[in-house]
Amino acid sequence: MRPNTMAAMILAGGRGTRLLDLTKKVAKPAVHFGGKYRIIDFPLSNCANSGISTVGVLTQYESVLLNAYVAKDQFWGLDTNDGGVYVLTPREKDQTGFDVFRGTADAITQNIDFLDSVAPEYVLILSGDHIYKMNYDKMLQYHKESQADATIAVLEVSLKEASRFGIMNCDENDVIYEFEEKPKKPKSTLASMGIYIFTYKTLRKYLIADDKNPDSHHDFGKDIIPAYLNDNRKLCAYRFKGYWKDVGTVDSLWESNMDLLKHNNELDLGDPTWKIYTEDVNALPQYIGEDAEIENSYITQGSVVLGSVKNSVLGTNCQIGKGAVVVDSVIQPGAKIGEGAKVTRCIVADDVEIAPGAICGSADSGEIELVAKKYVE
Amino acid sequence: MKALGIINFEDNTAIIEGLGEERPIPAIAFLARYRIIDFVLSNMTNSGIDNVQVYCKEKPRNLIEHLGTGSHYNINSKRGKLRILYGEKSFSSPVYNHDIANFMLNMQYIEEDTNPYVVVAPSYFIYSLDYNEVLKQHIDTGADITMLYTNTSEAKTSFLGCDVVTVDKEKNITAIDKNRGNTKTKSVSLECYVMSKKLFIELVKKAAATSSLYWFKDILKDSVGELDIKGYPIRGFVECINSLEQYYKISMALRDRGTANGLFKPGWPIYTQTNDSSPSLYVEGSSVKGSVVGNGAVIEGTVINSIISRNVTIKKGAVVKDSIVLQDSYIGENAKLDHVVVDKYAIIHHVKELKGTAEEPVYVKRRDRI
Repeated sequence: MRPNTMAAMILAGGRGTRLLDLTKKVAKPAVHFGGKYRIIDFPLSNCANSGISTVGVLTQYESVLLNAYVAKDQFWGLDTNDGGVYVLTPREKDQTGFDVFRGTADAITQNIDFLDSVAPEYVLILSGDHIYKMNYDKMLQYHKESQADATIAVLEVSLKEASRFGIMNCDENDVIYEFEEKPKKPKSTLASMGIYIFTYKTLRKYLIADDKNPDSHHDFGKDIIPAYLNDNRKLCAYRFKGYWKDVGTVDSLWESNMDLLKHNNELDLGDPTWKIYTEDVNALPQYIGEDAEIENSYITQGSVVLGSVKNSVLGTNCQIGKGAVVVDSVIQPGAKIGEGAKVTRCIVADDVEIAPGAICGSADSGEIELVAKKYVE
Repeated sequence: MKALGIINFEDNTAIIEGLGEERPIPAIAFLARYRIIDFVLSNMTNSGIDNVQVYCKEKPRNLIEHLGTGSHYNINSKRGKLRILYGEKSFSSPVYNHDIANFMLNMQYIEEDTNPYVVVAPSYFIYSLDYNEVLKQHIDTGADITMLYTNTSEAKTSFLGCDVVTVDKEKNITAIDKNRGNTKTKSVSLECYVMSKKLFIELVKKAAATSSLYWFKDILKDSVGELDIKGYPIRGFVECINSLEQYYKISMALRDRGTANGLFKPGWPIYTQTNDSSPSLYVEGSSVKGSVVGNGAVIEGTVINSIISRNVTIKKGAVVKDSIVLQDSYIGENAKLDHVVVDKYAIIHHVKELKGTAEEPVYVKRRDRI
């Protein structure tokens, strides 16, 4: 049996309002990315590849599809005897009424009974809406070596971007002395990635105290981390280098997809040593027609390309009709682009059918157009 | 479906040069992401056959790895079972290593199965069919054996060496012979038989008692006239992969969506083992036309009318035309391939030009470095 010292808890309850209609019927972590993946495949695959066997997924918003999806722990090889993926949704409990998760910390507090039953030494808190590859085991080693009460993964960002993030101000040993949420004048460029390792015993005390605090937002960034700092607990920053992207908006989801088009890109989904696993679909291989024109594109199983595709990502079972022209776009799984249609700088949502000859988006649009309605004329 | 599925192996006349020397025919990669056995096995599981025995003639490693527990073929892990069986005692001799020897060696597993019927089929015939329809006809007609056949007008070039049957108006099989390629139109046996398990066991034992060199098809031929053998015709896409030429021809034909639709039908998924490959990257400057491409490929060069399997790399300036490139192969810069079948993990780097024909494609060995 493998040692089960660290349990992962993935916060996957948010709607992701800024993804507009992409999250109308599915939660943000279930949104497709990179043609064949869903966003939550990234933290789940990272967990599997890091040797973590117990993963709790906290879901809330439009959770039917997401719950069913993550429950199939065999997709990520997490169906081991000593672990698995546990779907944790808000529930009615003895003595208390039914309540939704009031914040990121509350989602964990409401599942303290689950964590107690797993009895891990450490808890890894992740969010279900970031695209990156990371070995959490290395971060755990760092947490242990620095004898921290909590370790927060940070990413070096530009000073300009820093005011969009939670910024960690650290001493020369990367020990955090201050945390600032979206500072106007950032003192540091180390941004929190929303990835925390806590020593569970300590965290448990803080969560219970937080639960009783009527003024708390029950949020890790706003409440738990500041409480740790107030008590002079040791918080360490763990510097992460590599690709990391919050795909919270239509534009950033599009950008992150476009990043895959760069040959030898940093995310490197083809790396056999750190695969990202996902649902196994029974689709045919890609069919590329005799008159197809494909330039700089990322295409997956089940796609049929009869027209022209340039600088684009095509999802599972997409169809690009004869004479259709798809440029700088992300076509989500199952979408059909009719004959002669033109799609430029768009995200075409799952299963959307674009009528023959229709024109969507334009080359000089500032924002990426989201096409989420069926049968666009 | 109340039947035990038996996936039989092909006889020794089926030889796929090169590809078939490395692994048994059922384990040969096909159409960018499949293996030949995926079709018959998916037919069985889609028909609701939950207990399947796969007989393996030789080199079982490939097949064991690919089939695993069978869960990816949608076999119920509690109520169903996939067994990979082989004749340990007959492996060493190609003459004695026939299906009857293998059935006899594993007879206890056939006998202990509780299904009243068997569906016996080899993997090298490729088609999509619900075996329930065959079983229904079998029960309705009260035949002893019902066997699948297809009418072809290509018998001079396809199905060479296969069994051909004579069928009368009542669909009775009145004779079984070999296709020697001398007539265009023939009714070809798909070597797929439905019968009661009891009769199957009787015939296997009878074959073993008759001759130590008998195959199941030999005892079946002897039984024409004695037993009530009915034919079940199947129309649409049916092919037999029994030579490298056929492998090449059928693969190429399936590049056409219309042809492929005869094999890949809605509601009839063809299962295979997942590889967790990423999507394929068509790099700036590449050109791909008329081709079938598996996931995980990185294409920088030109691909015309070809089949590119999973995780293949095609470097700049390379031209792959009318060729089949199997999993994890590497086609180096400026290499020109024309009518070539490249086996897995091969690296084509120093030799820049390989040219075969449709009848005799050039075969590049597994893990070869050229």
